[in-house]
Amino acid sequence: MRILRLAALIFALSTASAALAQAPADNDHTLSAMRDEMARSKTRLELQIPQADQPVRPFFVEYRLLDLDVREIVAEFGALVSSNRSRIRQMSVSARVGDYKLDSSNFISEEGFRGFIGSTGDVGIDRDYDSLRQDLWIATDQAFKEAVETYSRKQAYLSSLARPSDIDDFAKVEPVQHIDPLVPSDWSNRNWEQEARDTSTALRAFPQIYESRVTYYLVYMTEYLLTSEGTEIRANHCFAAIEAGMNTLAADGMQVSHYYSSYAPRPADLPNVDTVRKGLNVAGRELMGMREASTAPDYTGPVLFEARAAAPLLAQVLSPSLSGARPPLAFQQVVDQLMNSLGARSEWSGKVGARVLPLKVSLVDDPFAKDYKGTPLIGGYSIDEEGVPAQKVSLVEDGKLQNLLMSRRPGPDFGKSNGHGRSTFLNDPSDPKPTMSNLFFTSSETVPRDDLKKKFLDACRSEKLDYCLVVRQMDNPSISLMHQEDFQELLASFGGNAATDRLPLVVYKIFPQDGHEELVRGARITGFSPRTLRNISAIGDDDFVYNYMQSQVVGLSGTALGAFGTAQSGLPASVVAPSLLFEEVEVRGARGEPKRLPLLPEPPMTPKANN
Amino acid sequence: LNLPIGAVRQRRLHRRIFAATTLLGATLLALPLRSADPPDATPKASPLFDAMKTELDRSMKTLGEQDPAAYYIGYTLTDSQRATVSGSNGALLSSDEARNRWLEVSVRTGSYELDDTHKVDSRTPPNGGPGTNAPLDDDPEVLRRAIWLETDKQYRAAAEALIKIKTGKEVKVQTEEGRAPDFSREKPETYTGPWVSFTLDRKPWEQKVRDYTRYFRQSTAVINSIVTFTANAENIMQLNTEGTHLQFGQIRYRLELFIQGKASDGMDIDRYYNFDWVNPSEAPSDKAVYAAAAQLRKEMEGLVASPLNDPTVGPALLTGRAAAVFFHEVFGHRAEGHRQKDVNEGQTFAKKVGEPILPEFLSIVDDTTMKKLGNQDLLGYYQFDDEGVAAQRVVLVDHGVLKNFEMSRSPLEGFPHSNGHGRRQIGATPVSRQGNLIVESSKMVTNAQLRAKLIELVKQQGKPYGLLIDDIAGGFTFTGRGQPQAFQVQPLVVYKVFADGRPDELVRGVDIVGTPLAALTKIVATGDTTEVFNGYCGAESGSVPVSAASPAILTSELEVQKKETSTDRPPILPPPAHDDAKSGGLQ
Repeated sequence: MRILRLAALIFALSTASAALAQAPADNDHTLSAMRDEMARSKTRLELQIPQADQPVRPFFVEYRLLDLDVREIVAEFGALVSSNRSRIRQMSVSARVGDYKLDSSNFISEEGFRGFIGSTGDVGIDRDYDSLRQDLWIATDQAFKEAVETYSRKQAYLSSLARPSDIDDFAKVEPVQHIDPLVPSDWSNRNWEQEARDTSTALRAFPQIYESRVTYYLVYMTEYLLTSEGTEIRANHCFAAIEAGMNTLAADGMQVSHYYSSYAPRPADLPNVDTVRKGLNVAGRELMGMREASTAPDYTGPVLFEARAAAPLLAQVLSPSLSGARPPLAFQQVVDQLMNSLGARSEWSGKVGARVLPLKVSLVDDPFAKDYKGTPLIGGYSIDEEGVPAQKVSLVEDGKLQNLLMSRRPGPDFGKSNGHGRSTFLNDPSDPKPTMSNLFFTSSETVPRDDLKKKFLDACRSEKLDYCLVVRQMDNPSISLMHQEDFQELLASFGGNAATDRLPLVVYKIFPQDGHEELVRGARITGFSPRTLRNISAIGDDDFVYNYMQSQVVGLSGTALGAFGTAQSGLPASVVAPSLLFEEVEVRGARGEPKRLPLLPEPPMTPKANN
Repeated sequence: LNLPIGAVRQRRLHRRIFAATTLLGATLLALPLRSADPPDATPKASPLFDAMKTELDRSMKTLGEQDPAAYYIGYTLTDSQRATVSGSNGALLSSDEARNRWLEVSVRTGSYELDDTHKVDSRTPPNGGPGTNAPLDDDPEVLRRAIWLETDKQYRAAAEALIKIKTGKEVKVQTEEGRAPDFSREKPETYTGPWVSFTLDRKPWEQKVRDYTRYFRQSTAVINSIVTFTANAENIMQLNTEGTHLQFGQIRYRLELFIQGKASDGMDIDRYYNFDWVNPSEAPSDKAVYAAAAQLRKEMEGLVASPLNDPTVGPALLTGRAAAVFFHEVFGHRAEGHRQKDVNEGQTFAKKVGEPILPEFLSIVDDTTMKKLGNQDLLGYYQFDDEGVAAQRVVLVDHGVLKNFEMSRSPLEGFPHSNGHGRRQIGATPVSRQGNLIVESSKMVTNAQLRAKLIELVKQQGKPYGLLIDDIAGGFTFTGRGQPQAFQVQPLVVYKVFADGRPDELVRGVDIVGTPLAALTKIVATGDTTEVFNGYCGAESGSVPVSAASPAILTSELEVQKKETSTDRPPILPPPAHDDAKSGGLQ
């Protein structure tokens, strides 16, 4: 026994030194550990199933690892709340059994395999060989067993269906090898803690703001992907964000919130203190205006979305419909209905060739775009999370649907990936969803800004309305709402309309008689689906770059709510769009239980020029 | 388990520390920990007290005049500094340090006799949430804003709760236990201790956690290993409308070893060991850690290969640390005062005060003023509890007779005051909890004699073997009235001790089951060495640090049943470091 163990030890040491001998110059052994564990998993991982002659083996195994270096700094009213830096490595292993035609994926069932360690988890950050082999070993074992169990459940379910689908489960791709050099995190020489203090100080000028929070979120990551098909990738990504939320109560007890966000491809590209203070100041002033504003009325009529609002509106309305992947098979109807009510179903799937937007409009998703007229775009990448090279996709030409965004999960219209399988680790990392990168909404027929407004007011007059509504900015409740309870309350308030309710933030009544404007609060747009976009009545010649985070929170990703993400929970994306005029939009006025005002007046808050 | 929330408290008595440190600790090398910063020469009250006091006075003035009126407001501001260094399977997993300030506001409406916390049915009264972040920078205006909003929120929750209670029918049907007031009147405490903090070089610990976890890779039985070092400095500021004004702090260090394995039939097995210390110079040496690691590894290797035990009833010997956990679970939780009051609780001991519940040779105290027992730091030590009441020594059982309970400020008939046991994890509402539960015996024999007595009992009862229980993982204790008054404790290391003198045999998969009153009276003798475990105990007010100490105990009858087992099989392939086949070769 002792001799045996000694032998094992010597073997262990010799493999370790063998690995050391071929150590890469950067001392990163991640891929070599993945390669070696993959090799034995491919050839030797098998399970004998009762009543089957052949042992089951995985036909596809994938190792994903995300090395994250994150700084997060939070301040409120000039005081630091927290400042953390963490480096972690998250591993995710997935295995598929069956074949490309029918495999263990894309099936939601109530019960599943419950392993004791699991196929995902944090692993050592040393980039060493031995500890990662150990972690991959047990994760592969768990992933494979999970796949075997899911496959048998899925087969049982399919046998109960009258006519199973003939769409493949998994698209084949050419293996890709791509190794970026390792780069150290560059936090720049800016003092981020002080910047967070200095920017958040701006909101001291508004003592009626109850709560506010400014968060700096800086991320460097290295992504590793190794598949049994031969793909090997080590790719670097980074982005940086400033996100701020603020709230107060109006005199009638309605909560009003506002937000500010700014995203950049690198920390060094984030706006400076003065720029952020200006942005916060604008939001603070608008919030004070909303606090005093009258509540929004119920309204049906023309609505003008200025470009700043049109871009986020499109992000929310379009993202679920751009996906051409087949939705998951759900064993339970409840899951199916839930996904439907969140808007996860593509309305464009099955409509290739049909008109989905006004005739002169084109829609292009371009992962290679770096900026738009000098404004940086943040949605770009060169290889997607499934190891498929990115492609520029022309989705809509002259109003007609030409293409959909595809991951490796085929759909009814297209069977191949076009490099849009994207995910973060917060979502199910083994199941990237077709997600947009940099989306451009353009029209060959546009109207100058002043003409657009005139057209809008004319429409308003012809409807004999006293006023019409213009939306200047859309809300992002994942940033503007500062408490989880508030967000839950919002989700509940959607009822079954989460797929078609839209949340405008800055809305004005505009009176055609004299052109004067009045801010209103609490408006909600209802019944706004991708079909509504067919009826755009005019398109401005302006444009706005909306950089944002696609939510990857489980259940929200791929839904209309997917456009509400934060830097912590999202995937960078950009939408470029002009102002849009609609002849008829339904707006629901303020609803809901108002809160009660605090019994005591707010304590003093002294404005400060700078800390 | 599908039981109503709150009916079952899962106690994760993360365990103990033991002989290895105390025996070896003295001789060891200098430690990588650089030291705690010297406390300020003269303790100064934090400048934040002024801001807290201003908001407290302003709030009480207004909220005390509302209907319903607030009669008590308390603020707790906790400043924590925490460094964590974790390793797994030979690599560093994470290493970071974080600071955080958390504000908790307690507002009570009504009166000491009947307030918003009054329990009328099985529902936990709604509270106003766990509190809120407070800024790390000493900015009085920003802190006041946080206090203002949180006080308003807590007042609203308390007002709503009281109205519900007063308008509900249930309040009229008072049980005898319910006649006690809802909140006890206590003498206000004032104390200003030094502000504590540490300066830590994490590098040496990063290397240590790598080395410690690398050691476990040598064993094929260990599938996963995690070792975590934490340093935690906590400064607490408490202020309330009764005049309590406290500032005190505590630094603690902890090293935890954790390994996982799997028996051939699929049963998950884990082993765990922890070192806790207060003085940086008393950190465990490498030698002590490797000794603990070797023990864990040996136990894991033994357990994965050991047979499953059948359910049995018979005599058993619990070593000191196992006995300590046993008392914590079986006795300690039932001596928590609020459980005697709640009509939904089993109230095992509610009517037993003054009556014998244990053999006459056993006494039990809960003494949270004790920093150490022998050389051992006690995790249950504190100066003031989470309701601002000074720590005390409480005699719970005196020579077998039940005398007292662990009391928070929720009084009982005949026990009108807190004895400093109102405790909570940050964010939860304090209830009575254990601190340092210490079992004392006047019938001690040497541990060798105790073992001889075990064999004697086995023979007397005509059994083939008795059980030696060396480690217990805590477990479920059912204290709710709807459940049987049973406990289930999971022993992790159990040996069969044979009457015929065969060597002891390690067995696996047993749970101790039984009823508390019966189990406690079956104790026949104790050993002569008190052993300590330190752990974190989870219950309705969250996870709090506790200690339990006991000599080994011999019981004439203990029932064990089979433990639930996992359906997942052991890994298909051997561990990479122990794979004799050529990696990735053509098989």
